[in-house]
Amino acid sequence: MCETILEVKHLSKTFGENEILKDINFTVKKGEVISVIGSSGSGKSTMLRCLNLLETPTSGEILYHGNSITDKKFDVRRYRAEVGMVFQSFNLFDNMSALKNCCIGQIKVLKRTKKQAEEIALQYLDKVGMTQYINARPSQLSGGQKQRVAIARALAMDPEIILFDEPTSALDPEMVGEVLSVMTALAKSGLTMVVVTHEMSFARDVSDRVVFMDGGIILEEGTPQQIFTNPNNQRTRQFLSRMLSEQKQN
Amino acid sequence: MKRVFAVVVLVVLAVALFGTLLTSTGVAYAVSSADDLQSVQSSGVIKIGMEAGYAPYNYRQTTDANGAVAIANQNGEFANGYDVKVAKYIAEKMGVTLEVHALEWDSLINALNAGTIDAIIAGMSPTEERKKSIDFSDKYYESNLVIVVRKDGNYANATQLSDFTNANIVAQRGTFHVDALAQIREVNDSVQYDTFPLMITALKSKTIDGYVAEEPGAISDCAANSELMYIDLKNNENGFATSEGDTQLAIGLRKGSSLTATINEILATLSEDQRAVMMDEAIEQQPVESVELGFFGNIGYILGKYWLRILQGVGTTILVSIIGTIVGLAIGLLVGFLRTLPQSRTKAGKIWQRVYNFLLSAYVEIFRGTPMMVQAMVIYWGYATLSGGITMNTFVAALLIVSVNTGAYIAEIVRGGINSLDKGQFEGASAIGMSHWQTMFSVILPQTIKNILPAVSNEFVINIKDTSVLSVLAGFIDLFAVGNIIILGTYRTFEAYLIISVVYFALTFSITRILRLCERKLKGKANYTLYNSDIVSAQQTAKGE
Repeated sequence: MCETILEVKHLSKTFGENEILKDINFTVKKGEVISVIGSSGSGKSTMLRCLNLLETPTSGEILYHGNSITDKKFDVRRYRAEVGMVFQSFNLFDNMSALKNCCIGQIKVLKRTKKQAEEIALQYLDKVGMTQYINARPSQLSGGQKQRVAIARALAMDPEIILFDEPTSALDPEMVGEVLSVMTALAKSGLTMVVVTHEMSFARDVSDRVVFMDGGIILEEGTPQQIFTNPNNQRTRQFLSRMLSEQKQN
Repeated sequence: MKRVFAVVVLVVLAVALFGTLLTSTGVAYAVSSADDLQSVQSSGVIKIGMEAGYAPYNYRQTTDANGAVAIANQNGEFANGYDVKVAKYIAEKMGVTLEVHALEWDSLINALNAGTIDAIIAGMSPTEERKKSIDFSDKYYESNLVIVVRKDGNYANATQLSDFTNANIVAQRGTFHVDALAQIREVNDSVQYDTFPLMITALKSKTIDGYVAEEPGAISDCAANSELMYIDLKNNENGFATSEGDTQLAIGLRKGSSLTATINEILATLSEDQRAVMMDEAIEQQPVESVELGFFGNIGYILGKYWLRILQGVGTTILVSIIGTIVGLAIGLLVGFLRTLPQSRTKAGKIWQRVYNFLLSAYVEIFRGTPMMVQAMVIYWGYATLSGGITMNTFVAALLIVSVNTGAYIAEIVRGGINSLDKGQFEGASAIGMSHWQTMFSVILPQTIKNILPAVSNEFVINIKDTSVLSVLAGFIDLFAVGNIIILGTYRTFEAYLIISVVYFALTFSITRILRLCERKLKGKANYTLYNSDIVSAQQTAKGE
């Protein structure tokens, strides 16, 4: 539980004149499940996208096992293969079946044989309960089904850590449950996860640590118990009371 | 704003480049005309250019009857006529083989200067204007101007030029006939005609009242078309005033050509009587039926005589369109792909990227911004001029032009297709560590190709029609060029083009249907099979073994 996988130091990101992230510092340790919460536009997703270089940090450092990922000699592709990502909009390959979606990265990046890749893919598709749909195209699946395939695709790469970027935000309410239960099972199996989410129940009940972001900075960070029962910051309190009352209504 | 400026600069540069290429080579051709005689003798072949569409001087037939000579650049066509007889005579005296090239009237002098042919024997008069760009031999025929009219028209009884003051008389564009026409009334060059068959058709359909011709030509035309006659103004002081340089016909040669002296010596051995006999034979042997068949009769006659040529034309048109579209698609994918590469991380990479992006957009802009017909002329004649007379095979040239042109259009279609894909497709691939190439080949291109297929098949249909402009490349016999050949052989312009247009329509219509069917097939099944988990686990265990 003590080995540090990712260490973010003084990370900032600007788009033109807008400073989206200001001096972000935090670490991810092996086996940790971290939930990042905060209102829309607070910089949660941008931070997550900086972690696997879908966005290039403007300044600051991100260390992966002590190596800076923005270093020119750093092997970005290998890093990305080891750091999985699950998107809000699934981003499954529309021209491939569910099975092929889970195989292509293994074959092209990890150089596994087709047979190996299919075995592993089937194993993870089974884990997310999608074995029946291995031949379906993304356009033939529901949102929840797509997201489960996307999770299987990330898992099939045997990643050290998976980043979740609001994985349930684009789903119909009745499909949120199926994805969350898959994620909960993953968390319990010891996978290291960083989850940007609006699902307060997940943040409270499943994660080891909760990070609250506001206006591009990390305002508060602590165990779920600390954050949900005794937040230090006024903004955290406001946000949580609003979110919890909304989700109760649903 | 910056982009607009860049495009303007680019176009100016491209135009300047083409300009310098052409002018610099226009002065000093790669061929040295002083070696003409030697090169003809050493190769054992003399290449003669003519229209093969100006009876009785030169016309075409479908067999080698009456000593006709195969046209070197048009498979299956034979040339005959007075010019061919003179050319044979010259070749024989020189002890070399005669090779006849059929070329458009306007491109004869170009072809000569580019070295594609060694001499022009095409019923051409040595006018002052032409003497500026080429030399001429001594005359090989002298004729006089007449006016061809309808027997049943208002001008059948005309005797002098002034009788034609109010008549709609035309002449072949680019000939001294147009200047002679000015002796009747003011001439508007834009209403003149390009070929004699067209003027004959116009006269027969009463669009015009008559046309200017040289007497041998008039005799041929009237022999082939029973409703026509010609007004001879030869011994009439009220006839056309012409200079010797106009009514004489001479052989066109490159400036300073060493062939000129040899040819003059040979012409000197050809007596007036021999020339007259040759001309009579040429008129007599002209293979044009003068029977009147009526509209349906004409259609039947053309189909009966030319069905094989029409089929060959269809084959050429489809082949060039298909290959051109496929190669164009490959070019378009490559260009579209290069233009959507992410920005390089190194400085040298960035510069290199700028350079090729500039070149690629220059390619796309230039080929989309100029007519394909003009591109064909620039590429074909540019190559012939720069290489010193080596011409491309016209089929290869046509393929090249269609491919490159289609490539420019498809490059833009591809770029649009790639840009219209959801950004998530790229991100999804990046996030599992796939390289740009892997992403492109496995994820982006398959989807792009599927999306752009309707646009590409549209390009294919457009190509079927637009390849017709490539008939400016003499020797490229597509469906449209077959139409022109039919007219040169039958003088039935309307019926020929009508048949050709029906065939074009049948082609595009049926191909559109077929392509639509293919697109529907490609969309794939709407269903997928649900796997029973038992089957899957069974498979898994099987695989695990």
